[in-house]
Parts: sequence; structure tokens; C-alpha cells
Amino acid sequence: MPRAFPLLYPKKRGHRRTGSKTLGSVGELVFFGIFFLAGVAGLILILLTVVVPEWRVNHEFRANQATVLPGSRIGVTPGEDGPLYRPEIHVKHTVEGVDYGVWTYDIAGGYTSGRAEKEAVLKCFPVGGRVACWYDPLDPNTVVLVRGYSWWTILFLIVPAVFLFMGAAGLIFSVLHWGKSAERRAVRTQKAQQGDSSNGNGENVYPSVPVRTDITNSPGTRLRYRLPIEASPGWAVFGMLLLVLLWNAGVAVMVCFAVGGHLSGGPDWPLTLFCIPFALVGLFLIYVFFRKLLIATGIGPTLLEISEHPLYPGEEYQVFLSQTGRLKVNALTLSLVCEERATYQQGTNTRTETRPVFKQELFRREQFEIPPGLPFETETRLQVPLGAMHSFKSEHNEIQWTLVAEGDIAGWPDYKRAFPVLIYPPDGGSRA
Amino acid sequence: MTEAAEVTISLDGDGRTYCPAQPLFGEYVFKNVLPGDLKAVEVAVLWYTEGKGDEDLAVHAFWRLNAEEETLPDPRRPAFFETVLPHSPLSYEGRLLKIRWCVRVRAFLHRGKEAFSERRFRLGDVPAVADLG
Repeated sequence: MPRAFPLLYPKKRGHRRTGSKTLGSVGELVFFGIFFLAGVAGLILILLTVVVPEWRVNHEFRANQATVLPGSRIGVTPGEDGPLYRPEIHVKHTVEGVDYGVWTYDIAGGYTSGRAEKEAVLKCFPVGGRVACWYDPLDPNTVVLVRGYSWWTILFLIVPAVFLFMGAAGLIFSVLHWGKSAERRAVRTQKAQQGDSSNGNGENVYPSVPVRTDITNSPGTRLRYRLPIEASPGWAVFGMLLLVLLWNAGVAVMVCFAVGGHLSGGPDWPLTLFCIPFALVGLFLIYVFFRKLLIATGIGPTLLEISEHPLYPGEEYQVFLSQTGRLKVNALTLSLVCEERATYQQGTNTRTETRPVFKQELFRREQFEIPPGLPFETETRLQVPLGAMHSFKSEHNEIQWTLVAEGDIAGWPDYKRAFPVLIYPPDGGSRA
Repeated sequence: MTEAAEVTISLDGDGRTYCPAQPLFGEYVFKNVLPGDLKAVEVAVLWYTEGKGDEDLAVHAFWRLNAEEETLPDPRRPAFFETVLPHSPLSYEGRLLKIRWCVRVRAFLHRGKEAFSERRFRLGDVPAVADLG
């Protein structure tokens, strides 16, 4: 049924939305326009109130001599975290025979915390003393006793500058995409990315099939290629160690405060109760770390070699598996696994979901021992299913094929090691 | 009241599965569009993903026909397009992910109006996930 009004609150179908595109574009323009204007306004404000006056003091103000009068004081104003102060020196200076009496110090006249510093400044200007001053030739009532630049203003400039750049980038993006179809935008993006995945001749033979040179850059000893492992056990242990240290360091600080309270006779029960779940997670992480460490150090490396790569549906390959270590194996299996991986935005979080969609056991052996220094070795056949989907990777979606070795070792935690392979679309006489 | 502009797409061997690296022929026909109504026409052969993940989209072939370049088709007659399909990605019906191929035609009319049509087709014959092993 036709709608009389544009849909303001659209339904989401992936990235496709059913709302009014014009309204969406206008909304984007307004959103980024507000950012841009806020940035411009902030920059102008800081320039006019800080940068330009300081520049004028250093370049346009005229030097003079002033006499310090009685009545110098510390100006006070309330701040969020307590009172703020500034020195106000009472001086008199004469320009073309006219006396001007003012309370002044620097051009910014800003209030900051720390009364003692301002009192120290006041002591530098004893009553009756002659001091250098600089005055505005357009208004001799504007006088300063110090010159220079406040470099902290650069920090203040960063905030509006970020707003300005974000707003400008967003506006340029919105204007460039205004009235353009999703297909036209995609073509533009693809052109910008062109060459990244080409075969060197500017033509990508298998678009969206990932390119992984690391799979074929290591020759095997028994078969043509030695496959790289998906995640090195060493790195996984190191990553786990970092997590354990960071998490438990944080927990330790909280526990110290909680225990300190108990020891000093003033127990902080909310903090103590708050600590308990964090401490339990910390203990669990330590368990996982030692488990990974055991697997990485106690179970020797798993090597996998393959007779050819990439793989094609319906074709047959040889796979060589080698497992070292002094192990009593309950079961060792090698499987060809296909997983789908989807990345999506949920609120402000980016989530990835993985689901295995195919598993074919290539090899299984139960109840055997691997003696030290003599690795277990076997060669098996891999038949890629005729209708297998090829490996696929786009920005948010992926189809990944792996050869997975899984071990059930007596007295050790089970382990699983994955070796990615690429399956290409069925050969149409166009193998690269 | 004038009737809404429409566009209809037809593909050769309608409904069949297309093989990678083979040509795809098609035509599109306008309804309720006069020659002066058209500002531009975009024809795209593309794939997009459906499913749990955010949508990805890539265009295999794209034509933009407009008045400035004097390439606008006569809306009273069928217009044709032709492309050689790529080797990948093949159409796919997975659990988290589906890959769909289609032809889209967008006609940009005066006063900001638009006529749009999409015609899906299958590239390759990868069986749905449930059918595998």
C-alpha cells in the first residue's frame, strides 16, 4: 500500500533501510552541519577571546612604566571544585599626560586554582614600585604587566578543531553521496579500492575469494606446502598472560583496599562484595592461562602439509599430519571444517558470530602412544565435496575453510589446532 | 491522476542458474514513462549479502545512462544490457549468510521521483548448506 508520508523510523534489513532516503540524507547533513558549526563557533570564540588578544599584546601594545598602588588583591570566583583565583595588581600609568589607574596582571585575566601562587605574584609587585607595563594604544585602560603566549590554548583549540574536521568530513561525505544510489556509491568505493586484490594484471579472477600468500609460502617436507596454523599457541598464551596480568592487577588494587579496610577495623562491605565476582573471574583466567600453557608446552607442535593449494570442489588431495610430544592419545582426529562468520553492529558494539556449517572427518585414530622424539605421522586423503561453497570474504561476512586437528590426550586438556585453506569456485578452465 | 512509473526486468532463460564466466543478457521495459520524464537510468548487476551480518554489496557491472551524455534509452522501447558474469562469489544459502545476485534498474525521473526494479538470479549451483554432508 503506498505511503502518503515518508517513513521516519525505518526498519533495518542489514544495511538496507526502508525509510525515506531524502530524509536520511537531510538528517545526515543537519547532524554533521551542527558538528561543523559547533567547531567553527568554538574556534572563533577561542581565537577572539585568547589568541588574538595575546597576539595584540605581543605585537601592538606599547611599552610603558607603571607605579604599583595600594589595593592589589587576589580576585576570587567560585569554581566546580572550589574557588579559583587570579592576581589583580593595582597600577597607575601615564599616557600623553593622562593617568590611568587599573587592576590588572595579564591579558587573559583567567582564574585558576592555587591561591599561594597568586599570593607569590602579588609579592613581586610591592606598593610604590616601578614596573614595566604594556598598554593598548586604542584604549590605555587596557594594561598588562606580563606578555607572552599561553600555550595551553592549543589544547583548547583541539576540541573545536576535532568538531570542525568531523563535521567537514561528514558534510563532504554527505554532499558527495547526495542523491546517489547504493549501487553508484558501491561502484565509487570499489574503484577507490581497485588493485588491492587484483592478480597483478589489474583483473581479479576470483572476486571476494580471499588472497592468502602465507598458505603457500612455506614448502613441506613430505607434501608440497606446509600449512600455517591459524593462531600460534605461543601468541595465544602470551595474549592470555597479558589479560591475566591486567585483570588481576586491577583486582589486586581493589582487594588491597578491601583487605586494608578490614585490617584497620573499618570494613568496607560494599567494596568487599564488589570484589568477589572480579576475583573469581581473575581465578578463572589464571586457570585458562595455565591450561593454554600446558597445551602449548606439553603437547608438541602439530604440522600439516598438503599436496596442492588452493583447493577446488570435487577434487582430491593428500594431507600429511605430524604430531610430536610424549603423549598417550585417547583420540586424534583431522577434519575439514567450514564456518560462516558474520559481523554486525548492535547498538554501539560490533559483534561477530561464527557458526560451523560443514564438518568432514578425514582421519581418526584412537588409543595410541606417541613416544618422545618420534612424532606420530600419517597421510590421508582429502576429497573436497563437489558442491562445496568457495572461501569468501567481504567486509562483514566470511566463509572460512580450515583443516582442524583435535586431540584428546590422557591426563591433558583437549586441544584443537586449525589450519586455514582456501577453496576456490569450481574450475571453469580458468585456474590462475 | 497519472499512474506510477514502473520498470520491469527480464533475463534470458528466465529463472535458470547462470554459470560463472558466462554471458548474461537482459532487457528492461518502462511503463507509464514518457521520453521527457527520464533524467537518468542506472542498471547494475550486483551481489549483496543477507543474514546475520551487516549487508555487504558489490557491483559487477554498472551503466549510468543520462541526458547529458545523450545515452538515455527511449522509454517506449525495451532497453538491453549484457555482461559476462564473474567466477565468484557464487550464490549461497547458508545459515548466517546468504549471497544473492540480482539485476537492479533505477530510473530517475523529474521532480525527484524514482522507479526501481530488482530481478534476482542464481550464479553457480552451490547447494544450500543443509544439503551438504
